[in-house]
Amino acid sequence: MTPNQRLIVAVLLSVIFFVAYTAIFPPKQEETIDANKSKNVVIKDVAEIAQAQAGHEISAQEKIAQSASSDIVTVTNDKFVLKIDTLGRISSKELLQEKFRDQNNKHAQLIPTLGAKPLYVRFLDEALNKEAATVAYTADVREINLQTQAQKIILTQTLSSLSVTKELTFYPDGHYDVAIKLSKDTRYFIYLGQRPEITEQMMTVSGAMVYTNDDLVTIIEDGDAQGRKTFSGVELISAFDQYFASIMYGFSADTNIMVEKDKNDNPVVYFEALASTSFHGYVGDKDFETLKNINPVLTNAIEYGWFTFAAKPLFALLLWLYGIFGNWGWAIVALTLIIRMILYPLTYKGMVSMQKIKEIAPKIKELQAKYKGDPQRMNAAVMDMYKKHGANPLGGCLPMLLQIPVFFAIYRVLLNAVELQGAEWALWITDLSRMDTYYILPILMGASMYYQQKLTPNNFTDPLQEKVFKFLPIIFTFFFITFPSGLVLYWIVNNIFSITQQFIVNQQFKNAKDARDAIAKGAEKHND
Amino acid sequence: MIRRLLLKLLWLYQKFFTLIGFGSCRYYPSCSEYARLHFENNSISSAFYHSLTRILRCNQLFDGGIEYPLLDKLTPKPKKLDVDSIKYWLVPNKTGRFYIIKNFSYKG
Repeated sequence: MTPNQRLIVAVLLSVIFFVAYTAIFPPKQEETIDANKSKNVVIKDVAEIAQAQAGHEISAQEKIAQSASSDIVTVTNDKFVLKIDTLGRISSKELLQEKFRDQNNKHAQLIPTLGAKPLYVRFLDEALNKEAATVAYTADVREINLQTQAQKIILTQTLSSLSVTKELTFYPDGHYDVAIKLSKDTRYFIYLGQRPEITEQMMTVSGAMVYTNDDLVTIIEDGDAQGRKTFSGVELISAFDQYFASIMYGFSADTNIMVEKDKNDNPVVYFEALASTSFHGYVGDKDFETLKNINPVLTNAIEYGWFTFAAKPLFALLLWLYGIFGNWGWAIVALTLIIRMILYPLTYKGMVSMQKIKEIAPKIKELQAKYKGDPQRMNAAVMDMYKKHGANPLGGCLPMLLQIPVFFAIYRVLLNAVELQGAEWALWITDLSRMDTYYILPILMGASMYYQQKLTPNNFTDPLQEKVFKFLPIIFTFFFITFPSGLVLYWIVNNIFSITQQFIVNQQFKNAKDARDAIAKGAEKHND
Repeated sequence: MIRRLLLKLLWLYQKFFTLIGFGSCRYYPSCSEYARLHFENNSISSAFYHSLTRILRCNQLFDGGIEYPLLDKLTPKPKKLDVDSIKYWLVPNKTGRFYIIKNFSYKG
């Protein structure tokens, strides 16, 4: 089983457990309410039935994908090996860095063997297209080695009525310039290529993306492509998985980008040209600094799903912290602390009210004794007492709810930041983007959560709730087992911070009680 | 329909998800209970508004304490009345509106 399957099984098991538990031991009060609401609401999925028929372009492109082609140029660098085949496409790019490994622990291959490949040219004229599929490109060099200088390759294809020239300039940082020249004007299409298929974890987005000059990002996720969509004023197109992307940018202003679906409803991106055209491309990991140094517009290709607006500033903060600590693990710890502090600007207010609580503690004790068998009425009475004395020890729902979007943003950042690949923290954690193979972090997470629960005073009125509450650390441990270590680390630090806070609060309560007892004793003696 | 779905969601929240941040509400009834009372008795838009402002007030800058939801429109048509079948006590306040207060003796 892959980690993802295990995670799904764990979640399903816990859901089934609680549904079954509720069914077997129904809470008495809920039973009647359930009976009233037993009619299940069936929401019909009115999703559009996608057209089964694929365009002729796609089938042609698939034929091309299957046709035999061999490599004619090899571009090497200390970080990658890139190959160009007889159809003038980038047929493969292998990343040599140790941290980039696929699921089988081999070097990451950015171009999938099947599907469209970057720089593939298709002509509108079907006959021309057929001929182009059989005539091989020739290159002016067989092999180039990039060190610090950019190097140019000229690829030519001589067809009966036309000759095609592709001038490719490769740079050591992984991007390339393209200039395509045709001996006469004819309509043709250039493909962005199939997205990398290296890593995909739960909840990550993969597919195609179009970024237009009105600062609008359109994402067509795999399986969601419908019909043909045309975009104009495009700044950047990208076909991406969790950490890697094939990107093209720097088009001339009148370029139309087209997104079509293949037979699996995955997006296929290409654009139209008539005569000569030039643009830029990049195939590689979505590392923020790398992309920014090539061209700042490329950073838009880093995508955190629909939560990008909150995740982007968070990543900027994380990057800044990394600059200070030089270690992503410690940067995450620092980020957690900063967020906890921002989310509790009201701590001071809470402390003041804590002082008042101390003063009314004996009266609350009286109330607790009075309504011993009736927790709901006791809560009401205690709240009334707080209100009378202008004191309230609880944080409130708003600070709690505010944490949810922040956690979600962190989750998206840690899940999508390629920088965490191969980033070590301390001791046994050698890759923050992968699960902890020793299961130490998830277990620590469960343990810290359990301890936090023990410290937090609770007054459950429902025995079922209390049982679920006690099982929560176990569920979360299973839930977190396959999560990236960076994310589990965030959760642990968050728990430890909560524990510390709770510990201080509990200590204050205890001190107040001791002081009161001492005074009471003193008074008794005095009365004697 | 929408109301029932929302109430189901609230029930789900009160049953399970509240456990993650258990016992942090500064009010009585708690925010989720307050929202439930609103959604059961008032229009959806009014219930949304009041629940949202309640959650926004539920932080350390406000005192918290007891705050019952108010009934928007009085439409009583009970078939029988005794202490076990009354779900809510509607208690008039000074402005002529009604607090919605849960009847602890309600048996369904």
